[in-house]
Parts: sequence; structure tokens; C-alpha cells
Amino acid sequence: MFSVRVKNVTKHSKDTVTVTFNVSFRSFPGQFVMLNLPGHEEIPLSLSSPDSVTVRAVGETTEALVNIQPGELLGIKGPMGRPFSIPNGTALLIAGGIGIAPLIYLHDYIIGRGGEVKILYGVRTSEELINHRRFENIKISTDNGSAGFHGNVIDLLKVEDRPDRYSRIYCCGPEIMLRKLYDFFKENKLLRKVEFALERYMKCGMGVCGSCALENGLMVCSEGPVFNGVELEW
Amino acid sequence: MLDIELCGIKMRNPLMLASGILGSYSSSLNRIAENAGAVVTKSVGAEEREGYRNPVLINYGDGFVNAVGLSSPGAEVFSKELKNFRGGCPLIVSLFGSSPEEIAHLTSFFPFADAFEINLSCPHAEKVGLAVGSDPTLVREIVTYVKKSTSKPVFAKLSPNVNDIVEIGKAAEKGGADGVVAINTIRGMSIDILSRKPVLSNISGGVSGEAIKPIALKCVWDLYENLKIPVIGVGGITTWKDVVEFMLAGAEAVQIGSAHFYSYKLFFSLKESLLAYVRKNEPLKEIIGMAHG
Ligand SMILES: Cc1cc2nc3c(=O)[nH]c(=O)nc-3n(C[C@H](O)[C@H](O)[C@H](O)COP(=O)(O)OP(=O)(O)OC[C@H]3O[C@@H](n4cnc5c(N)ncnc54)[C@H](O)[C@@H]3O)c2cc1C
Ligand SMILES: Cc1cc2nc3c(=O)[nH]c(=O)nc-3n(C[C@H](O)[C@H](O)[C@H](O)COP(=O)(O)O)c2cc1C
Repeated sequence: MFSVRVKNVTKHSKDTVTVTFNVSFRSFPGQFVMLNLPGHEEIPLSLSSPDSVTVRAVGETTEALVNIQPGELLGIKGPMGRPFSIPNGTALLIAGGIGIAPLIYLHDYIIGRGGEVKILYGVRTSEELINHRRFENIKISTDNGSAGFHGNVIDLLKVEDRPDRYSRIYCCGPEIMLRKLYDFFKENKLLRKVEFALERYMKCGMGVCGSCALENGLMVCSEGPVFNGVELEW
Repeated sequence: MLDIELCGIKMRNPLMLASGILGSYSSSLNRIAENAGAVVTKSVGAEEREGYRNPVLINYGDGFVNAVGLSSPGAEVFSKELKNFRGGCPLIVSLFGSSPEEIAHLTSFFPFADAFEINLSCPHAEKVGLAVGSDPTLVREIVTYVKKSTSKPVFAKLSPNVNDIVEIGKAAEKGGADGVVAINTIRGMSIDILSRKPVLSNISGGVSGEAIKPIALKCVWDLYENLKIPVIGVGGITTWKDVVEFMLAGAEAVQIGSAHFYSYKLFFSLKESLLAYVRKNEPLKEIIGMAHG
């Protein structure tokens, strides 16, 4: 474990911020850190760039993190976990809610290397959108129709695109959404090229305690959090 | 060539998964059971218990300091979870509690277990674990009660955080324990020098991994000299040489926890290495205690 200082806090909406650190980590998109906010808990957070995390307040620690000030100290373990694989053609990124966090890093990583990316980004209402204007090739869906396509991101995928056109597809979001995408890609025999970034309740974050075991025995912290579709038994 | 029989339990090799590592779900136990001689589950108590807040584990040069705090879903929920264990190898259920009656009652939830291990030794959980495991009279009584509650073998897991581990081992033996398991983690802590605060939420925890191997080995040595029942060695075992070392000190079988940090295929590679060892030497069961004059 080591400590970093908060350099910057960018507010996206009333409950979501990006916290930038004073150091940049050698890391790959899809990896996460165990971040310890002194006085609160240590929680897993995906990197949204080599030097930041993007957090939504859902409970005690994330609430405190959203209100953190520049200069404060944070404990970091990591970066750890298996990252996304890198595509060799156009990539499709499918995000639900705060699931956009690791995909921001993946997007910038691929664009920075001259690749092409399309993003489908689903949220409940337009107020939840994070920085979507920074992406060039993006389609948005909202459950209440307040912006973009009226409906969920899976319906958007069905009307908007032909997933078989992409060399690789990356999904991150609530588990119900991931499971529906899994079914869709399974039906369309595309699972092999789809990667899912999963979340599980984590304790040690280092692959020994076993709290984050999946139904098939794979460990989310040390063998994920990114899994290929064919590795999952959903 | 590696097979052993431990208190009537037939095992394909003497390598057991230590309690609390990858042992909360059947899915991970099934995976380890493909190559292990036996698996021990995470310790379970009567009621649901939250455990400590994160951070609960920190790694340092030679191992870990952990204060998971015996988090557990409770016996009833855990017994349902363990029904999905596919039986790739013998299953040993680890139990904790604060009184003889409470611990003995737990065995009835796990009729499918091949044996039980009583955790008398968690160094960082109040009122259970070490608090009950450092009193020889209480240890003897707990083991007696648990033995009466089941026909399966019962092992007592001992702590090195006591004045005399042999005294506790003898108390377990007198209570009727079929074997002792030594050792659990050793009290320790870690402080972050930048924030100037203890790293673990519980302030202190238990040290495991390579750092504790010489201490564990000495405990196994002493217990072997003074007890008649089998000793199961645990603490810092990482390579096949460590396994041989513990068996020479008197361990009939060994348990491995922290080293799974390096690989989940650990039991497979240890098994292959030990096979190469026994091809050039005697069967493993013949080297048990050989280092004693
Ligand atoms: C690999 C991984 C990457 C993640 N990346 C991000 C990210 O980039 N941005 C983001 O906002 N969130 C992310 N999360 C989720 C984030 O870890 C949880 O929101 C956070 O732990 C909640 O802590 P809390 O104290 O604020 O909430 P609590 O009050 O503890 O609980 C609120 C909710 O969060 C869940 N939760 C609590 N602790 C954990 C834990 N240790 N692991 C997983 N879920 C937990 C609870 O089940 C509950 O539903 C990620 C989770 C994982 C496993
Ligand atoms: C994260 C963690 C959790 C543990 N949980 C338990 C437990 O629930 N019950 C128990 O008897 N021992 C528990 N232990 C102790 C181990 O079973 C073992 O005795 C100790 O770690 C020494 O072995 P090792 O060096 O191979 O890890 C735990 C150890 C670790 C690191």
C-alpha cells in the first residue's frame, strides 16, 4: 500500500465526481485500485484514467469521497486486476450509469493509439450523464427520454447498430444490464468477442479471502474484473 | 504415492486448504478440491457476523497481516452454500463460537462434512477464537462437547499467541481431539508512515505467510514430541520443500493459505513436485517426524 494526494476534484453531477491524484499509475484500462479513505472504508474503484477514479455516491465511503478536497491523502493498493484486451479494429463500448468509469480510460487509450471507438451510453435520466460531450462517436439512451434515445441501452443497441461489425465489444454497468447483454450476445453467437467488467463485494482485493468468487469459482479481484463472455456461466 | 490417511480420512495427498482462504463459497472450494488432499472451509459461527471494515488485509515483504474478523453468514446459510460442494476431495468445516455448547451445536448443520476443525485461535476476534483458545480447561471442555456431538473426526486449531502451545495441545488431546492443527496467525500490525495511522481498520491483526514459517515449524516440532495424536502443520508453507520440512518435523499433513496469493494452481504444482521427490525418496508417510532423533 502507498499514499497519494488528491490533486483535483471535478464535479459532474450532484452525486458524481472525478478525483485526480498527484501521481499517475502504470496501468491498463479495466484495472482497479483498492482505495482507502482514512476514517472510512477501503473500496474497489476502477481507474478512469492513469491518474483518476470516477465515483458515484451510493453509501458511506463513496459519499465522503465525492466531498473530498484537494490535498487530502488517500491509501492505494494496486492497480490490480486483469485489464480489457486491446482491439485490432473498431471497438464498441456499452456503458450503463457509473459503468462509464473504466470505459472512459479504455476510450482514451484506444483513441490515443489511433483506433476507432463507438460508445453506447445508457442512464436513467440526463442528469446522470458524465462528460458525454468529450466523446466524438457516442449515442445516448435515457430511461425517461430526457436525452437521446428513449429506452434502455440494449434497445438502443438493437435499433442503432450491428454488433457483428465490431472487432471487440466492452460492457460495464449494473449486473442486470450485463446479464441482458450476455443473453443478447449469446443468442447472436458473439460472446467470444465481448468483455464484461464485473463488480462483486470485495474484502481483501488480493485474491486470498474469496469474498468475490463468481458462480464458476473465478475470483473477480485477481482473475477479473474483466471477463470474456465465454468465461461466464450466466 | 502421496496418498495418506488422516484419522480415517483418505486423502490423495497431504495438502489441505487452510481455513479462511478462498473458503467462503462452494464455487472456489470446488476449484481448489480438484488437486487438494482436503479443503477446510472458512470458519463459521452460529449467527451471521459482519467482520471488520476494510482494509482487512495488507501485504508486506514476507506475507500478510489480516483482520477479516471471522465474517460469516451463520451456520444455517453456510450449510446451504456448502450443499453445492461437489466432493472433489474431503470437506472439513471450521467452527468457532464462545462456549462449548454453542460450538458443539454447530456440527448438526453439516452432516455432510468429513471432519470438523475447531478454530480456537483467531487472534483478532473478541470473545471467540483466541479468547477461548488460551484457557486449557475451556479448550478441553469444548473438544469434549464437540466430540460428543458428532461421530466425525475433530481437529483443534491452535494459536501460537499463548505461553505454551503444548499445554493447549495436551488439553485438546485429553478432550478427545483426533488431531491438532498448528498454527493460526500471529498477532501483528502495520502503520502507514504518511498518514501515521494503523493500516488495518481493526488496528492489529494476524500475520501469515512466509514470515511465520520458522515459528510454525517449531510449534509442530514441540507438539509432535509431546502429543500422541496427529499434528497438521500450517504457517508459511509456499514450496514443496516447505511441505517436506513440516513433515520431517512431524506433520502428518499440511495446510496452505497465504501462498494462494501466488497461484490458484498451487496444489497442482506442489503435487507434481512432491511426486518427483517421492520417486527419488521414500513415500511421504515414511518421513513424518524423521528429523527427531
Ligand atoms: C472492480 C470494481 C470496480 C468498481 N469501480 C467503480 C467505479 O469506478 N466507480 C464507482 O462509483 N464505483 C465503483 N465500484 C463500486 C464501488 O466499489 C462501491 O460503490 C463502493 O464500494 C460502495 O461503498 P460505500 O461505503 O460508499 O457504500 P456502502 O454503504 O458500503 O454500500 C453501498 C452499496 O455498494 C456495495 N458495496 C459496498 N462495499 C463494496 C465493495 N467493497 N465492493 C463492491 N461493492 C460494494 C454494497 O453492496 C451496496 O450495494 C466498483 C466495484 C468493483 C468491485
Ligand atoms: C485472510 C485470512 C483469513 C483467515 N481466516 C481464518 C479463519 O476463518 N479460520 C481459521 O481458523 N484461520 C483463518 N486464517 C488462518 C489460516 O488458516 C492459517 O492458519 C494462517 O494463515 C497461516 O497459514 P499460511 O501462512 O499458509 O497462510 C486466515 C488467514 C488469512 C490470511
